[in-house]
Amino acid sequence: MLSILITRPRYEPATHYLYHWSALIVEAADNGENKVFDLEKEKANRKNVESYLVKRTPEIVIFNGHGNQYSMAGQDGEDLIVAGQNADLLKGCVVYMRACSAGKILGIEIMKLGAKSFIGYREPFHFYKTEKMYFHRPLEDDYAYPFLETSNQVGLSLVKGKTAKDADEDSRKVCRNIISRLLTSNASNSFVIPALLWNMHHQVCYK
Amino acid sequence: MPDQKEINMEIINLIVARLKTIPSDASLSIGGDEQNTMTQEDIIKEVREQSVIGKQIIESQLFFLRSLKDLPVEINA
Repeated sequence: MLSILITRPRYEPATHYLYHWSALIVEAADNGENKVFDLEKEKANRKNVESYLVKRTPEIVIFNGHGNQYSMAGQDGEDLIVAGQNADLLKGCVVYMRACSAGKILGIEIMKLGAKSFIGYREPFHFYKTEKMYFHRPLEDDYAYPFLETSNQVGLSLVKGKTAKDADEDSRKVCRNIISRLLTSNASNSFVIPALLWNMHHQVCYK
Repeated sequence: MPDQKEINMEIINLIVARLKTIPSDASLSIGGDEQNTMTQEDIIKEVREQSVIGKQIIESQLFFLRSLKDLPVEINA
């Protein structure tokens, strides 16, 4: 049995997509055996995150949302984890931050303060989406799925109990498969490949 | 041999030509605010200006182009 904390803010287009795609991770995690704490929308605030980290001591923590080198944000851009403030709360956890740039400084600090492992991105996370048309069906957006399926695999592998190293490798395999499919078909979304390669190049796994 | 400036412009022109294949209904999200959601036109503007985001786009396109060097030279190779 695993104890899993997931943050899923939703307040603008990018988090709207992450919110819906990370629901698939919640669904996979919530298999009756694991304990899943799903902090969605307004619940993805600093007070809740700190409280769950202290009281529930989750083994796996998956953040979705906006980030930068120093912090990981929740609902309405509120900082949830900030370097030099509360990164120590992730001690002993396997952490995935699906956010821009958090792997550059924050991820390193999280590891120094005792996290078991960390997966994130050293640079901004790029993703294409279809303008407007797919806002109500983000899981069916042909431009967005290569990015979100690839990054979702990190979370899906972690909630299945795989190590961070394996989760990182699994997501890279998914990415390679998607790129192969795009290159060998007449798909209209093959223009996304450079951005996929950018994300993979900057995906880090510290352990 | 062309000088560095010409090489850079060649690269920019190559990348802009590639970016022109991005469909008009696609937008690229980068970073943490709504202003960083860009259409094909916005992306090309950033690349031409060689802004921070423009340089990221250039780098990502170069990743792709460099990855093609691993293709076999001959079909039976």
